[in-house]
Amino acid sequence: MTVDLNLVGAKGAIAEAAQGKWGMTIDQDICTGCQACVAACAMENNLAFVGEEDAGYGRTQHWIRIERFWDGEYPHVQATPFQPMLCQQCGHAPCEPVCPVFATPHSPAEDLNLQVYNRCVGTRYCANNCPYQVRSFNWRDYHTVPELGNMVNGTLVFPLHNQLNPDVTVRRRGVMEKCTFCIQRIHKAQDKAKSEGREVEDGEFTTACAQACPASAITFGRVDHPESLVSQLAHQERGVKHLEELNTLPRVTYLKEG
Amino acid sequence: MIRKFFEWVLSPMGRIAVVITVMSLFSLAAYGVYQTQQPPEQPIQFTHKLHVGLGIQCLYCHPGALRGPSPGLPTINKCWGCHQQIAKTQTSPLLKPMVDAMNAGVGFTWVPVAQVPDFVHFTHRPHVAAGLNCENCHGDMTKVTIAENPQVMNMGWCLNCHKSRTEDNFQNNPTSDAGVSAQLEKKRTKLTDCGTCHY
Repeated sequence: MTVDLNLVGAKGAIAEAAQGKWGMTIDQDICTGCQACVAACAMENNLAFVGEEDAGYGRTQHWIRIERFWDGEYPHVQATPFQPMLCQQCGHAPCEPVCPVFATPHSPAEDLNLQVYNRCVGTRYCANNCPYQVRSFNWRDYHTVPELGNMVNGTLVFPLHNQLNPDVTVRRRGVMEKCTFCIQRIHKAQDKAKSEGREVEDGEFTTACAQACPASAITFGRVDHPESLVSQLAHQERGVKHLEELNTLPRVTYLKEG
Repeated sequence: MIRKFFEWVLSPMGRIAVVITVMSLFSLAAYGVYQTQQPPEQPIQFTHKLHVGLGIQCLYCHPGALRGPSPGLPTINKCWGCHQQIAKTQTSPLLKPMVDAMNAGVGFTWVPVAQVPDFVHFTHRPHVAAGLNCENCHGDMTKVTIAENPQVMNMGWCLNCHKSRTEDNFQNNPTSDAGVSAQLEKKRTKLTDCGTCHY
Protein backbone atom coordinates (compact mmCIF):
# COMPACT_ATOMS: atom_id res chain seq x y z
CA MET A 1 0.00 0.00 0.00
CA THR A 2 1.33 3.40 -0.92
CA VAL A 3 0.44 6.32 1.29
CA ASP A 4 -0.31 9.64 -0.30
CA LEU A 5 1.05 12.14 2.19
CA ASN A 6 -0.27 15.08 0.18
CA LEU A 7 -3.76 14.49 1.53
CA VAL A 8 -5.07 17.40 3.53
CA GLY A 9 -7.09 17.66 6.71
CA ALA A 10 -8.21 14.63 8.64
CA LYS A 11 -7.21 12.28 5.85
CA GLY A 12 -3.72 13.72 5.92
CA ALA A 13 -3.52 13.09 9.65
CA ILE A 14 -4.73 9.56 9.06
CA ALA A 15 -2.16 9.03 6.34
CA GLU A 16 0.58 10.10 8.70
CA ALA A 17 -0.46 7.38 11.10
CA ALA A 18 -0.62 4.88 8.28
CA GLN A 19 2.72 3.25 8.75
CA GLY A 20 2.47 1.81 12.25
CA LYS A 21 5.05 -0.13 14.15
CA TRP A 22 4.25 -3.82 14.30
CA GLY A 23 2.72 -5.50 11.30
CA MET A 24 1.94 -8.82 9.76
CA THR A 25 1.68 -10.34 6.34
CA ILE A 26 -0.43 -13.39 5.56
CA ASP A 27 0.29 -15.21 2.31
CA GLN A 28 -3.03 -16.60 1.11
CA ASP A 29 -1.32 -18.41 -1.74
CA ILE A 30 0.60 -20.56 0.76
CA CYS A 31 -2.05 -20.93 3.48
CA THR A 32 -3.57 -24.41 3.51
CA GLY A 33 -6.25 -23.60 6.06
CA CYS A 34 -4.89 -26.17 8.53
CA GLN A 35 -5.97 -24.12 11.59
CA ALA A 36 -2.64 -24.58 13.37
CA CYS A 37 -2.59 -20.81 13.98
CA VAL A 38 -6.04 -20.98 15.56
CA ALA A 39 -4.92 -23.70 17.96
CA ALA A 40 -1.61 -22.00 18.76
CA CYS A 41 -3.37 -18.71 19.44
CA ALA A 42 -5.80 -20.40 21.81
CA MET A 43 -2.93 -21.99 23.74
CA GLU A 44 -0.82 -18.85 23.89
CA ASN A 45 -3.54 -16.43 24.86
CA ASN A 46 -5.61 -18.50 27.32
CA LEU A 47 -8.61 -18.60 25.04
CA ALA A 48 -11.57 -20.38 26.54
CA PHE A 49 -13.46 -23.34 25.15
CA VAL A 50 -17.02 -22.16 25.35
CA GLY A 51 -18.78 -25.49 25.08
CA GLU A 52 -21.42 -26.77 22.75
CA GLU A 53 -24.33 -24.59 23.75
CA ASP A 54 -22.54 -21.26 23.60
CA ALA A 55 -20.80 -22.24 20.38
CA GLY A 56 -24.29 -22.73 18.98
CA TYR A 57 -25.05 -19.14 19.89
CA GLY A 58 -21.95 -18.05 17.98
CA ARG A 59 -20.03 -17.14 21.12
CA THR A 60 -16.87 -19.03 20.22
CA GLN A 61 -13.70 -17.30 21.28
CA HIS A 62 -11.15 -17.11 18.54
CA TRP A 63 -8.66 -14.32 18.11
CA ILE A 64 -7.83 -15.69 14.68
CA ARG A 65 -10.14 -17.66 12.43
CA ILE A 66 -9.89 -19.11 8.95
CA GLU A 67 -12.47 -17.68 6.61
CA ARG A 68 -13.46 -19.30 3.35
CA PHE A 69 -15.71 -17.97 0.68
CA TRP A 70 -17.24 -19.33 -2.49
CA ASP A 71 -17.02 -17.78 -5.90
CA GLY A 72 -19.79 -18.15 -8.46
CA GLU A 73 -23.25 -19.72 -8.46
CA TYR A 74 -24.03 -23.32 -7.53
CA PRO A 75 -23.08 -25.79 -9.01
CA HIS A 76 -20.18 -23.89 -10.53
CA VAL A 77 -18.72 -22.79 -7.25
CA GLN A 78 -15.05 -22.27 -6.71
CA ALA A 79 -13.42 -21.91 -3.32
CA THR A 80 -11.34 -18.79 -2.80
CA PRO A 81 -8.01 -19.04 -0.97
CA PHE A 82 -8.24 -19.46 2.80
CA GLN A 83 -8.26 -16.16 4.61
CA PRO A 84 -7.03 -16.10 8.21
CA MET A 85 -8.78 -13.18 9.85
CA LEU A 86 -7.52 -11.57 13.02
CA CYS A 87 -7.52 -8.13 14.59
CA GLN A 88 -5.96 -5.85 11.99
CA GLN A 89 -4.60 -3.51 14.69
CA CYS A 90 -5.97 -0.61 12.66
CA GLY A 91 -4.11 2.66 12.77
CA HIS A 92 -7.47 4.39 12.65
CA ALA A 93 -9.64 1.85 14.40
CA PRO A 94 -13.44 2.01 14.39
CA CYS A 95 -13.56 0.16 17.73
CA GLU A 96 -11.59 2.77 19.64
CA PRO A 97 -13.71 5.95 19.62
CA VAL A 98 -16.93 4.15 20.55
CA CYS A 99 -15.76 2.75 23.88
CA PRO A 100 -17.49 4.75 26.64
CA VAL A 101 -14.83 3.90 29.24
CA PHE A 102 -11.68 4.04 27.07
CA ALA A 103 -11.02 0.35 27.61
CA THR A 104 -9.72 -0.09 24.08
CA PRO A 105 -7.21 2.72 23.65
CA HIS A 106 -4.55 3.03 21.01
CA SER A 107 -1.11 2.35 22.40
CA PRO A 108 1.16 5.29 21.64
CA ALA A 109 4.29 3.29 22.41
CA GLU A 110 3.62 0.14 20.39
CA ASP A 111 1.03 1.52 17.95
CA LEU A 112 -1.37 -1.32 18.65
CA ASN A 113 -5.01 -1.46 19.62
CA LEU A 114 -5.15 -2.44 23.23
CA GLN A 115 -7.89 -4.09 25.21
CA VAL A 116 -7.70 -3.25 28.89
CA TYR A 117 -9.66 -6.04 30.55
CA ASN A 118 -9.90 -4.46 33.97
CA ARG A 119 -11.35 -1.30 32.54
CA CYS A 120 -13.84 -2.93 30.16
CA VAL A 121 -17.46 -2.84 31.33
CA GLY A 122 -18.81 -4.98 28.53
CA THR A 123 -20.96 -2.69 26.43
CA ARG A 124 -19.86 -4.68 23.33
CA TYR A 125 -20.06 -1.51 21.25
CA CYS A 126 -16.52 -2.08 19.95
CA ALA A 127 -17.42 -5.51 18.61
CA ASN A 128 -20.44 -4.06 16.86
CA ASN A 129 -18.31 -1.39 15.29
CA CYS A 130 -15.49 -3.68 14.15
CA PRO A 131 -15.75 -4.16 10.39
CA TYR A 132 -13.59 -7.30 10.59
CA GLN A 133 -15.73 -8.95 13.31
CA VAL A 134 -12.72 -10.17 15.23
CA ARG A 135 -13.68 -9.29 18.79
CA SER A 136 -15.14 -11.86 21.12
CA PHE A 137 -17.03 -11.38 24.32
CA ASN A 138 -16.81 -13.41 27.52
CA TRP A 139 -20.42 -14.36 28.16
CA ARG A 140 -19.42 -16.44 31.19
CA ASP A 141 -16.41 -17.20 33.33
CA TYR A 142 -15.49 -19.86 30.83
CA HIS A 143 -12.41 -20.99 32.71
CA THR A 144 -14.42 -21.91 35.79
CA VAL A 145 -17.94 -22.85 34.66
CA PRO A 146 -18.75 -26.19 36.30
CA GLU A 147 -20.20 -27.67 33.11
CA LEU A 148 -16.84 -27.43 31.42
CA GLY A 149 -14.85 -29.16 34.18
CA ASN A 150 -14.45 -32.84 34.94
CA MET A 151 -15.80 -34.30 38.16
CA VAL A 152 -13.03 -36.44 39.64
CA ASN A 153 -13.77 -38.09 43.00
CA GLY A 154 -16.23 -35.40 43.91
CA THR A 155 -14.04 -32.42 43.07
CA LEU A 156 -14.16 -30.33 39.94
CA VAL A 157 -10.98 -30.53 37.92
CA PHE A 158 -10.12 -28.17 35.11
CA PRO A 159 -7.25 -29.93 33.35
CA LEU A 160 -6.60 -27.04 31.00
CA HIS A 161 -5.75 -24.74 33.89
CA ASN A 162 -2.31 -26.31 33.86
CA GLN A 163 -1.59 -24.95 30.42
CA LEU A 164 -2.67 -21.36 31.03
CA ASN A 165 -0.05 -18.85 29.98
CA PRO A 166 0.97 -16.83 33.05
CA ASP A 167 1.96 -13.88 30.86
CA VAL A 168 -1.62 -13.38 29.70
CA THR A 169 -4.62 -12.40 31.80
CA VAL A 170 -7.36 -14.98 32.20
CA ARG A 171 -10.33 -12.91 31.19
CA ARG A 172 -13.36 -12.94 33.41
CA ARG A 173 -17.02 -12.70 32.56
CA GLY A 174 -18.29 -9.56 30.91
CA VAL A 175 -15.20 -8.29 29.15
CA MET A 176 -14.35 -8.02 25.50
CA GLU A 177 -11.18 -9.52 24.12
CA LYS A 178 -9.28 -9.63 20.86
CA CYS A 179 -5.94 -10.36 19.25
CA THR A 180 -3.12 -8.40 20.87
CA PHE A 181 -0.41 -9.24 18.30
CA CYS A 182 1.02 -11.32 21.19
CA ILE A 183 1.99 -8.16 23.08
CA GLN A 184 3.38 -10.34 25.88
CA ARG A 185 5.97 -11.67 23.42
CA ILE A 186 6.71 -8.15 22.21
CA HIS A 187 7.35 -7.05 25.78
CA LYS A 188 9.45 -10.09 26.54
CA ALA A 189 11.63 -9.55 23.48
CA GLN A 190 11.97 -5.84 24.24
CA ASP A 191 12.85 -6.59 27.84
CA LYS A 192 15.49 -9.12 26.81
CA ALA A 193 16.93 -6.79 24.17
CA LYS A 194 17.08 -3.94 26.65
CA SER A 195 18.82 -6.04 29.27
CA GLU A 196 21.44 -6.86 26.66
CA GLY A 197 21.70 -3.23 25.56
CA ARG A 198 20.52 -3.61 21.98
CA GLU A 199 17.45 -3.17 19.82
CA VAL A 200 14.98 -5.95 19.07
CA GLU A 201 16.19 -7.72 15.94
CA ASP A 202 13.97 -8.72 13.06
CA GLY A 203 12.86 -12.33 13.42
CA GLU A 204 14.04 -12.56 17.01
CA PHE A 205 10.52 -13.39 18.13
CA THR A 206 7.21 -13.85 16.43
CA THR A 207 3.56 -14.25 17.30
CA ALA A 208 2.09 -17.62 18.26
CA CYS A 209 0.18 -17.94 14.99
CA ALA A 210 3.23 -17.16 12.86
CA GLN A 211 5.33 -19.56 14.92
CA ALA A 212 2.84 -22.38 14.49
CA CYS A 213 2.21 -21.90 10.76
CA PRO A 214 3.69 -25.00 9.07
CA ALA A 215 3.69 -23.29 5.68
CA SER A 216 5.23 -20.06 7.04
CA ALA A 217 2.38 -18.11 5.53
CA ILE A 218 2.33 -15.65 8.42
CA THR A 219 5.20 -13.21 8.96
CA PHE A 220 5.39 -10.78 11.83
CA GLY A 221 7.72 -7.89 12.49
CA ARG A 222 8.37 -4.18 12.28
CA VAL A 223 6.63 -2.57 9.32
CA ASP A 224 8.39 0.73 9.92
CA HIS A 225 11.80 -0.84 9.27
CA PRO A 226 12.18 -1.03 5.49
CA GLU A 227 14.75 -3.84 5.69
CA SER A 228 12.62 -6.19 7.80
CA LEU A 229 11.15 -9.26 6.15
CA VAL A 230 7.57 -8.29 6.89
CA SER A 231 7.84 -4.84 5.39
CA GLN A 232 9.53 -6.19 2.25
CA LEU A 233 6.73 -8.75 1.88
CA ALA A 234 4.07 -6.12 2.56
CA HIS A 235 5.33 -3.91 -0.25
CA GLN A 236 5.06 -6.63 -2.87
CA GLU A 237 2.71 -6.29 -5.80
CA ARG A 238 0.49 -8.99 -4.31
CA GLY A 239 -0.22 -7.13 -1.10
CA VAL A 240 -3.78 -6.11 -0.31
CA LYS A 241 -5.38 -4.77 2.84
CA HIS A 242 -8.90 -5.64 3.74
CA LEU A 243 -11.65 -3.01 3.81
CA GLU A 244 -9.09 -0.37 2.99
CA GLU A 245 -11.88 1.86 1.71
CA LEU A 246 -13.05 2.34 5.32
CA ASN A 247 -9.78 4.12 6.07
CA THR A 248 -9.05 1.81 8.99
CA LEU A 249 -5.35 1.60 8.07
CA PRO A 250 -4.96 -2.09 8.87
CA ARG A 251 -1.52 -3.39 9.87
CA VAL A 252 -2.10 -6.81 8.32
CA THR A 253 -1.29 -7.21 4.63
CA TYR A 254 -2.75 -10.14 2.75
CA LEU A 255 -0.70 -11.48 -0.15
CA LYS A 256 -2.78 -12.91 -2.95
CA GLU A 257 -2.10 -13.37 -6.64
CA GLY A 258 -4.60 -11.70 -8.90
CA MET B 1 -46.87 0.24 54.78
CA ILE B 2 -44.00 2.40 53.46
CA ARG B 3 -45.56 5.47 55.04
CA LYS B 4 -45.65 3.66 58.39
CA PHE B 5 -41.97 2.77 58.01
CA PHE B 6 -41.02 6.41 57.42
CA GLU B 7 -43.06 7.47 60.42
CA TRP B 8 -41.17 4.92 62.52
CA VAL B 9 -37.83 6.18 61.16
CA LEU B 10 -38.73 9.70 62.26
CA SER B 11 -39.65 8.58 65.77
CA PRO B 12 -36.86 8.67 68.43
CA MET B 13 -36.44 4.86 68.43
CA GLY B 14 -36.28 4.83 64.66
CA ARG B 15 -33.60 7.50 64.61
CA ILE B 16 -31.50 5.58 67.09
CA ALA B 17 -31.91 2.43 65.02
CA VAL B 18 -30.80 4.25 61.86
CA VAL B 19 -27.74 5.67 63.63
CA ILE B 20 -26.81 2.23 64.97
CA THR B 21 -27.20 0.66 61.51
CA VAL B 22 -25.08 3.32 59.83
CA MET B 23 -22.40 3.05 62.49
CA SER B 24 -22.20 -0.73 62.30
CA LEU B 25 -22.02 -0.64 58.50
CA PHE B 26 -19.26 1.95 58.70
CA SER B 27 -17.26 -0.04 61.23
CA LEU B 28 -17.67 -3.20 59.14
CA ALA B 29 -16.34 -1.35 56.10
CA ALA B 30 -13.48 0.10 58.12
CA TYR B 31 -12.64 -3.37 59.45
CA GLY B 32 -12.70 -4.75 55.90
CA VAL B 33 -10.30 -2.08 54.67
CA TYR B 34 -8.08 -2.66 57.71
CA GLN B 35 -7.98 -6.38 56.95
CA THR B 36 -6.72 -5.79 53.42
CA GLN B 37 -3.82 -3.75 54.80
CA GLN B 38 -2.65 -6.42 57.24
CA PRO B 39 0.29 -8.65 56.37
CA PRO B 40 -0.99 -12.16 55.78
CA GLU B 41 -0.45 -15.15 58.06
CA GLN B 42 2.83 -16.90 57.24
CA PRO B 43 3.86 -20.51 58.00
CA ILE B 44 6.61 -19.27 60.31
CA GLN B 45 7.46 -15.91 61.80
CA PHE B 46 10.40 -15.21 59.52
CA THR B 47 12.31 -12.22 60.83
CA HIS B 48 13.34 -9.98 57.96
CA LYS B 49 14.58 -7.60 60.64
CA LEU B 50 17.25 -10.01 61.83
CA HIS B 51 18.34 -11.38 58.47
CA VAL B 52 18.61 -8.03 56.71
CA GLY B 53 20.19 -6.60 59.85
CA LEU B 54 22.91 -9.24 59.55
CA GLY B 55 23.71 -7.79 56.15
CA ILE B 56 22.23 -10.49 53.93
CA GLN B 57 21.36 -9.05 50.53
CA CYS B 58 17.72 -9.09 49.40
CA LEU B 59 18.84 -10.72 46.16
CA TYR B 60 20.37 -13.67 48.01
CA CYS B 61 16.91 -15.05 48.80
CA HIS B 62 14.96 -13.25 46.05
CA PRO B 63 17.37 -13.53 43.10
CA GLY B 64 14.71 -13.41 40.39
CA ALA B 65 14.27 -9.66 40.84
CA LEU B 66 17.52 -9.10 38.98
CA ARG B 67 16.58 -11.11 35.93
CA GLY B 68 12.86 -11.50 35.47
CA PRO B 69 9.31 -10.73 36.44
CA SER B 70 9.15 -12.56 39.76
CA PRO B 71 11.79 -12.32 42.50
CA GLY B 72 10.81 -15.72 43.85
CA LEU B 73 10.34 -16.84 47.43
CA PRO B 74 13.14 -19.05 48.80
CA THR B 75 12.70 -22.77 49.38
CA ILE B 76 13.61 -24.35 52.67
CA ASN B 77 16.88 -25.59 51.13
CA LYS B 78 18.07 -22.02 50.91
CA CYS B 79 17.32 -21.51 54.61
CA TRP B 80 19.10 -24.76 55.41
CA GLY B 81 22.15 -23.83 53.41
CA CYS B 82 23.08 -21.29 56.07
CA HIS B 83 21.22 -22.63 59.06
CA GLN B 84 22.80 -26.09 59.12
CA GLN B 85 26.09 -24.41 59.92
CA ILE B 86 24.64 -22.47 62.83
CA ALA B 87 24.68 -24.21 66.19
CA LYS B 88 21.63 -22.29 67.41
CA THR B 89 19.48 -23.92 64.74
CA GLN B 90 19.24 -27.15 66.74
CA THR B 91 18.65 -25.52 70.09
CA SER B 92 16.38 -22.55 69.45
CA PRO B 93 12.64 -23.21 69.91
CA LEU B 94 11.85 -20.51 67.36
CA LEU B 95 13.76 -22.39 64.68
CA LYS B 96 12.18 -25.73 65.53
CA PRO B 97 9.43 -25.49 62.86
CA MET B 98 12.12 -25.12 60.20
CA VAL B 99 14.16 -28.07 61.49
CA ASP B 100 11.01 -30.20 61.68
CA ALA B 101 9.97 -29.22 58.16
CA MET B 102 13.46 -29.98 56.85
CA ASN B 103 13.55 -33.40 58.56
CA ALA B 104 10.08 -34.21 57.29
CA GLY B 105 11.09 -33.18 53.78
CA VAL B 106 8.31 -30.64 53.39
CA GLY B 107 8.84 -27.00 52.53
CA PHE B 108 7.19 -23.81 53.58
CA THR B 109 4.30 -22.37 51.64
CA TRP B 110 5.07 -18.69 51.86
CA VAL B 111 2.21 -16.28 51.36
CA PRO B 112 3.24 -13.52 48.95
CA VAL B 113 2.76 -10.08 50.50
CA ALA B 114 3.37 -7.67 47.63
CA GLN B 115 1.10 -8.91 44.90
CA VAL B 116 -0.49 -7.39 41.83
CA PRO B 117 -3.78 -8.59 40.32
CA ASP B 118 -3.91 -11.03 37.43
CA PHE B 119 -4.53 -8.27 34.90
CA VAL B 120 -1.32 -6.44 35.80
CA HIS B 121 1.93 -7.77 34.38
CA PHE B 122 4.67 -6.45 36.59
CA THR B 123 8.33 -7.17 35.93
CA HIS B 124 11.04 -6.55 38.51
CA ARG B 125 13.99 -6.51 36.10
CA PRO B 126 13.51 -3.08 34.46
CA HIS B 127 12.81 -1.52 37.84
CA VAL B 128 16.02 -2.86 39.33
CA ALA B 129 17.86 -1.93 36.13
CA ALA B 130 16.51 1.62 36.42
CA GLY B 131 18.41 1.94 39.66
CA LEU B 132 15.57 1.47 42.11
CA ASN B 133 16.46 -0.19 45.36
CA CYS B 134 14.23 -2.82 46.92
CA GLU B 135 13.33 -0.54 49.82
CA ASN B 136 12.00 2.16 47.47
CA CYS B 137 8.86 0.09 47.03
CA HIS B 138 8.99 -2.57 49.73
CA GLY B 139 10.05 -0.41 52.65
CA ASP B 140 12.84 -0.86 55.12
CA MET B 141 13.06 -4.56 55.91
CA THR B 142 15.30 -3.94 58.92
CA LYS B 143 12.19 -2.70 60.71
CA VAL B 144 9.64 -5.46 60.09
CA THR B 145 9.39 -9.11 61.01
CA ILE B 146 6.98 -10.28 58.31
CA ALA B 147 7.24 -8.25 55.15
CA GLU B 148 4.48 -5.69 54.81
CA ASN B 149 3.67 -3.12 52.19
CA PRO B 150 4.62 0.38 53.22
CA GLN B 151 1.99 1.79 50.87
CA VAL B 152 -1.02 0.70 48.89
CA MET B 153 0.28 -0.62 45.60
CA ASN B 154 -2.22 0.68 43.09
CA MET B 155 -2.05 2.14 39.62
CA GLY B 156 -1.91 5.76 40.78
CA TRP B 157 1.16 4.93 42.82
CA CYS B 158 2.84 3.26 39.83
CA LEU B 159 2.00 6.11 37.48
CA ASN B 160 3.10 8.82 39.89
CA CYS B 161 6.59 7.36 39.91
CA HIS B 162 6.61 6.70 36.16
CA LYS B 163 5.61 10.27 35.47
CA SER B 164 7.85 12.00 37.96
CA ARG B 165 10.91 10.06 36.87
CA THR B 166 10.44 10.97 33.22
CA GLU B 167 9.91 14.67 33.85
CA ASP B 168 12.45 17.16 32.59
CA ASN B 169 12.95 18.65 36.02
CA PHE B 170 13.34 15.33 37.82
CA GLN B 171 15.06 16.10 41.13
CA ASN B 172 15.03 19.81 40.19
CA ASN B 173 17.47 19.17 37.40
CA PRO B 174 16.01 20.45 34.13
CA THR B 175 17.63 19.23 30.94
CA SER B 176 18.65 21.77 28.35
CA ASP B 177 19.58 19.05 25.86
CA ALA B 178 16.81 18.51 23.28
CA GLY B 179 17.98 14.93 22.65
CA VAL B 180 17.66 13.98 26.32
CA SER B 181 14.29 15.67 26.46
CA ALA B 182 13.02 13.70 23.46
CA GLN B 183 14.32 10.50 25.03
CA LEU B 184 12.45 11.27 28.24
CA GLU B 185 9.32 11.97 26.22
CA LYS B 186 9.63 8.58 24.52
CA LYS B 187 10.20 6.92 27.87
CA ARG B 188 7.15 8.61 29.37
CA THR B 189 5.01 7.46 26.44
CA LYS B 190 6.12 3.90 27.08
CA LEU B 191 5.76 4.10 30.85
CA THR B 192 2.26 5.57 30.79
CA ASP B 193 0.96 3.32 28.02
CA CYS B 194 -1.89 1.03 29.15
CA GLY B 195 -0.41 -1.84 27.15
CA THR B 196 2.83 -1.79 29.10
CA CYS B 197 1.17 -3.47 32.09
CA HIS B 198 -2.33 -4.53 31.02
CA TYR B 199 -2.64 -7.29 28.43
